[in-house]
Amino acid sequence: MPLSNEDRESIEAVADILSRKGLAELEFERDGLRIRVARGGAAVAPAATQVQAPPAAAAGDPAEADESALLIESPMVGTFYVASSPDAEPFVSAGDRVRKGQVVCIIEAMKLMNEIESEHEGVLAECLVENAQGVEFGQALFRIGVG
Amino acid sequence: MFDKVLIANRGEIALRIIAACRELGAKTVAVYSTVDRDALHVELADEAICIGEARSSHSYLSVPAIISAAEIADVDAIHPGYGFLAEDARFAEICRDCGIRFVGPSAEAIRLMGDKARARRAAAAAGIPVMPGSEEPLGSAAEASALAAEVGLPVILKAAAGGGGRGMRVVRDLGEIEGAFRRASAEAGAAFGSGQVYLEKYVERPRHIEFQVLADERGKVVSVGERECSIQRRHQKLLEEAPANGMSAESRARAGEVLARALASIGYSNAGTVEFLMDESGDLHFIEMNARIQVEHPVTEAVSGIDLVRAQLLLAAGEPLEAAVPGPVEVRGCAIECRVNAEDPRTFLPSAGRIERYVPPGGPGIRVDSAAYSGWHVQPHYDSLIAKVTAFGATRPDAIRRMKRALSMFVVEGVKTSIPLHRRILESKPFLDGRYDTRFIEEMGL
Repeated sequence: MPLSNEDRESIEAVADILSRKGLAELEFERDGLRIRVARGGAAVAPAATQVQAPPAAAAGDPAEADESALLIESPMVGTFYVASSPDAEPFVSAGDRVRKGQVVCIIEAMKLMNEIESEHEGVLAECLVENAQGVEFGQALFRIGVG
Repeated sequence: MFDKVLIANRGEIALRIIAACRELGAKTVAVYSTVDRDALHVELADEAICIGEARSSHSYLSVPAIISAAEIADVDAIHPGYGFLAEDARFAEICRDCGIRFVGPSAEAIRLMGDKARARRAAAAAGIPVMPGSEEPLGSAAEASALAAEVGLPVILKAAAGGGGRGMRVVRDLGEIEGAFRRASAEAGAAFGSGQVYLEKYVERPRHIEFQVLADERGKVVSVGERECSIQRRHQKLLEEAPANGMSAESRARAGEVLARALASIGYSNAGTVEFLMDESGDLHFIEMNARIQVEHPVTEAVSGIDLVRAQLLLAAGEPLEAAVPGPVEVRGCAIECRVNAEDPRTFLPSAGRIERYVPPGGPGIRVDSAAYSGWHVQPHYDSLIAKVTAFGATRPDAIRRMKRALSMFVVEGVKTSIPLHRRILESKPFLDGRYDTRFIEEMGL
């Protein structure tokens, strides 16, 4: 089923909370829509702010959170840009659904603008690099949740 | 001087360049491939940027990756070291177009020296002695025969497009020349798609002698003396020494003057090495010029007291020759370098793997250039050089004694090394007598 704009907004809202509170994983369920956003790695929320999903809605192994987060890595050394030009909208923002092969950013190397495509399918959890920052080969650019 | 220099290389030469930059107060940027994450040059540079995968073509040979790294690190200059992009004229040109100083000669000089036939013509025109032979490809068997009679036998026929010994034929009897020419031409055509063949005088027992030069960008050139590099195996140098055996101060000065004049007329700048073949009567014949710093530069540094990599950086920054070489060049004492490779000393096959224990030698007169440490992995992707051991002494016997002592105290465990081979060389009579040529290794019976 394709995502409606309403769905998109909900996912973005959930991802925003996850990002703002520094949580590792967040699940939200309403009217048959279940959104689970996760990021792998070191970011672990302090216990006091941890939001527990109701036990009935909890699905899967908690360890899945790490496995379900994938990284988009830079295939080259260069300068990272979120958009095709300084005035343009970013290719992707946190909470966006990302398809395999979708352009997610530009890496400039020797004056050539290289469009970087996502190797993964999922929801963009986080952009790990600042706009116009230098990146090296293999550096993680985005975290994608595929839960 | 430069504020920040990117080093487009790895291993011991990257560390050597970091050392020179530190003494000059320049910051350094290392680049590395994914398998070199734990390499010392990455640790010891002020910044490090991963530029690609293990394969050199995707990392250390990738011009876009290195230029992008230079741009994001905002460097003034790139030092290419030796190998990789050091003699890539296009790379030097791109650096120039990007406003980055390339630490080396101009792109034009690199291009000239990279084309062997053009380099030979330029050398001859500038007054450097070249091996007697044909300037152009031979037109016919009769032409080959006439030229062979003129330069004297033996001669060698070489495919213009050849290399690695293929398409080469030595002729010792004038009666054989026409047949040899037709076979060499046919062979060259089949192997390289071009039947063009050159003829040159052949030296049965050549020595490999090379002269180090330094030149500024104002046309001033100086020779920093010679090195003897005759101990080779399949054109790989194993041991080098300075000065060359039997070279008098007068011959050195004479050759140095010829080279300084010739290279000034060619417009050469920065460091370079002019390689010669020395025949049995002691005459030098130009082979080629290497437009870069050489692996074996430490022996020249030891006997001249000149820091060649520091000189390269100063000269590339536009400083006059006097800044790099303050007084007249004097060659004192003797220096020997052994290239310790990770390889089987008998089969010469590379021995990649983890170095379990690494304890380099030290003490009086010993210098070790290396990027190895205990726990470091010798990567199969790159060359197998582990360390260069340079011994210096007031006399040649002193230097030999120190080298023997140093190699006997060099601990490398986990990979096989060429140390046993070097120790055998240091015991052999021709070496101890200082009377050997490029057939030395072959005749050692390995």
